[in-house]
Amino acid sequence: MRDHPIRPDHGEDPPMPRPAETPSSAAEIPSRAAEIPSRPVEIPARPVETPARAAELPARPERRRPAAPARRGPADPVKSLMHDHRDLCERAVSPLEIAAGLEAHGLTDRTAARYRHRDVFALAEELYARTPARPAGPAVAAPPPPGPDTEARAGWTLLALLPGAACLATAGLLRVTEEVLGGGARAAVTVTGALLACLALRLCLGRGPLRAPEGAGRAGMYACWLLSFAVYGEGLLAQVVSGGPDGLWEAAPAPLLGLTAALAPAAWCAHLFTVRAHRKLTGSRALEEFGAGVRPLLLAAVALFVCALLPLLFLADLGFGGDGMPVAAAALGVLFFLARLLAAHGLPEPGTVALAAACAMEAAAPALVLAGRLPGLDPLARPVHALVAAGGTGAVPALACGAAALGLLVHASAALSRASAHTRA
Amino acid sequence: MRIGLLTDGGYPYATGESRLWCDRLVRGLPQHEFDLFALSRSAHQEDQGWVRLPHHVSRVRTAPLWTPEDGALRGSGEPRLLARLVTGGGVSYGRRDRKRFAAHVKALATAICATEDTGTDPADSAGLFAEGFYGLAELARERGGLHLALRSEATVRILEAASRAPGAGRTVQSATVVDHLAFAAELERVLRPLSLDWYEPESLGAVDLCHAASGGAAAIPGLLAKRFFGVPLLVTEHGVPLRTHYLAAPDASFGAPVRALLAHFHMLLAAEVYRQAALVTAGNTHVRRWQQRCGADPARQRTVYPGMAAERFSAVGEDDDAGGPDTLVRVGRIEPAKDLIALLHAFAEVRRAEPDARLRIFGAPADGDEATTYLAHCRALAAQLFPDEATGAHTEGVSPVTFEEIGGPEVPGLAEAYAAGGVIVLSSVVEGFPISLVESMFCGRATVSTDVGAVVEVIGGTGLVVPPRNPRALADACIALLRDPERRARLGAAARARALELFTVEQNLAAFRGIYLELISHAPVRREADAVDADGEPLLFAAPAEARLLGPWTQPQPAAVGARARSWAAAGAESEGESEGEPGCLCATACGPGDGDA
Repeated sequence: MRDHPIRPDHGEDPPMPRPAETPSSAAEIPSRAAEIPSRPVEIPARPVETPARAAELPARPERRRPAAPARRGPADPVKSLMHDHRDLCERAVSPLEIAAGLEAHGLTDRTAARYRHRDVFALAEELYARTPARPAGPAVAAPPPPGPDTEARAGWTLLALLPGAACLATAGLLRVTEEVLGGGARAAVTVTGALLACLALRLCLGRGPLRAPEGAGRAGMYACWLLSFAVYGEGLLAQVVSGGPDGLWEAAPAPLLGLTAALAPAAWCAHLFTVRAHRKLTGSRALEEFGAGVRPLLLAAVALFVCALLPLLFLADLGFGGDGMPVAAAALGVLFFLARLLAAHGLPEPGTVALAAACAMEAAAPALVLAGRLPGLDPLARPVHALVAAGGTGAVPALACGAAALGLLVHASAALSRASAHTRA
Repeated sequence: MRIGLLTDGGYPYATGESRLWCDRLVRGLPQHEFDLFALSRSAHQEDQGWVRLPHHVSRVRTAPLWTPEDGALRGSGEPRLLARLVTGGGVSYGRRDRKRFAAHVKALATAICATEDTGTDPADSAGLFAEGFYGLAELARERGGLHLALRSEATVRILEAASRAPGAGRTVQSATVVDHLAFAAELERVLRPLSLDWYEPESLGAVDLCHAASGGAAAIPGLLAKRFFGVPLLVTEHGVPLRTHYLAAPDASFGAPVRALLAHFHMLLAAEVYRQAALVTAGNTHVRRWQQRCGADPARQRTVYPGMAAERFSAVGEDDDAGGPDTLVRVGRIEPAKDLIALLHAFAEVRRAEPDARLRIFGAPADGDEATTYLAHCRALAAQLFPDEATGAHTEGVSPVTFEEIGGPEVPGLAEAYAAGGVIVLSSVVEGFPISLVESMFCGRATVSTDVGAVVEVIGGTGLVVPPRNPRALADACIALLRDPERRARLGAAARARALELFTVEQNLAAFRGIYLELISHAPVRREADAVDADGEPLLFAAPAEARLLGPWTQPQPAAVGARARSWAAAGAESEGESEGEPGCLCATACGPGDGDA
């Protein structure tokens, strides 16, 4: 941007550097040089600067002079300068910013003298003081909302569907080939399916709303333990309680299928929560206000996820010929969801701790029963026996995961209502 | 003596800003030992490697100020798991440390939020700022983990409270949650130098003088070294960090409150640097004015002009050939700020008065599309204004205006480009320190330049100066010089004499050599270790009685800083004598060209 400062035209002020003054502007150098702190250089050439200029340029002044009075500037030169640098003045947060901007446009102290100011700083101060009130903060601050990125969303939704699809395909293949294939081949199919599901899970957790920017620590290890307990735990517990273990027990793969299928709803719930919270963040003026707005959002997201999870688990259970509500698997799903949501907001530790606590409780149940067989340690096994008697073997993982999930929910409703948890969302 | 040279995105890296200057400084003062403390700007810069370092650079310590994508600075989170769970938000401090942290951040936030329009006493702000700043530095030195704490919710809460407090500025009060979050992140970024591991007795504590090669982030380690170990600080600025911050700010997409807060932080930091520095040197008067505006004490300011290599121009400068009598030459990058349009219009007028005149424009377009478009535009305008001319009906015509790049067979180097012209023209509308003007002065050429930036200060009456954006004035000055070869020669000789006196590498080195010795004699670092012998017994006369006197004792007392210091002083004096050939030159250089304005 080039500015053509309008010359002031009041009385004694020279309207513009007329050619007659050009020599004098060159001749001003000695006086400027004296001001320069470095050193007044005693150069012999200096006195020779001034004379003999008029003779060199004879015809010009007469030719140009009539133009000067014709171009009258406005009475207030600073106003037009302000108009020229409107953007700069409006967005400036201090007079020094205006001074820096003016200098970058080539204004010097000598130009500032034309506006009757001692230097650029003084001129900038006047401009800053005279600029009308700047537009309100939020209007400037709010960045343009990023449009719905349909392509990316479709991408991670597809990825989130993959683990469920792998599990479903494996289960279907096993069901169809029940009579056809031998034990070795079935084991190979199971292993391949598990590997595929793991690969898809890794891909799905690597991007999209479930990505944990700082990693998830040891959460993966605990999650593996919890999943294996969901599959094999109840059988083991039943045998231990009834005096076993005696031989191999049945696996219950239904929760695995239901949980992997629930990945896509989990991703969507996390996405909705993140987007809503972000919108809330840009809209709120105080931290308290933001916290109060986000807590219901978190509860709503968890409720939404539970609503999607329960039918999936129920269907999976039905497919494997099960009966009753899979409460333990639902509690485990909520626990996983909360842990991942926290990790996705840069807080992996609480989730890891909650998963570890659930693991410990689940591992403690058969251990206590076995310990109760020792003479004198009978009371240790009593709570487990009571629990199994009251709610069946499923009550143990349900209690462990449910308690952990509840604790994590309480923690998350505090941690995720902090604004600092949403900075990198 | 041992100098700790602090740079920010500069010297040891091959793509640094102040690389040339620092390299000359380090190579030019071999009698001192240099420790380099460098902050790097980006991964790209680190990949480019270092320049070759001379052997008297004894130690190089670098630290990144940028965070890699995976957030290595943030810590993995594996250790202190329970601690983080209990405290929440990732602060790993205990209760007492948390209280300390909160108090310091509160002081800092109160100082920063009191922007100019509230009428708060600047001294109060400065005091609060120093309290918070050094408090956080001490906390970071003792406990670490400052980056985590600064990103925590506690910081955001304190910032919000401070911005709502009665003393806060108008713009700041309108800040929203997003603004506070953005500012907390920025604050963490600018305070990263506090978390460096340089502040140990054997690292920054071991140097005798800290020399910050620029203000801003590079000066922060110097401030802390002064605070923790009493090492005197020398700050050299060729540009103003605050001004750079303002000019760079439009790139960042922050709201007005964040920009106001950041600007005020940089302002307070600059003021603190100027207050603590034993001496602040400015590259030119413009920088000096800005420094004064930011609170620098004129008594502790010096102007030290950047030094430039004069040797490559000496052949041209000493030659009697005054260049093409009718040729105007303009050398430099081509970009809109150089206003070549005005030059072309001026030349049209020159041609009217002097039909034989030629204009040769040397230089390549600057990086970016804008400059390339500008060059094309200038070429089109030149073709329009000045049609090709031939001497006769059967010869091929040439344009009186040529655009040439340096490095061709005809003009192999810069010196030849300057030598080709009788008058060198500089038509910029925006200019910092005009390097091409100094080069033409070295070549002994008469110059016509516009009054921008430090031009008047550099030329000092040895060339003609006209107002910017005034082609007529430019043309008149050029015509006057073209018609008067005698005056041209006189001005050229004077310009060369001036440049040789003020802008050579030697004067720059001499100025810094003098400043180093002066500072170290004024404020030697006293270490306990220097005052005791090997058995821990106090050494007799380790510090002279004068060292305990109040007030200035300006006589250089090299013996006061112990055995190690004595060896450098002797070495310095020797090389001084060898290189200059006269023993009395120490005083002469100490009040050399750089500080003639005190």
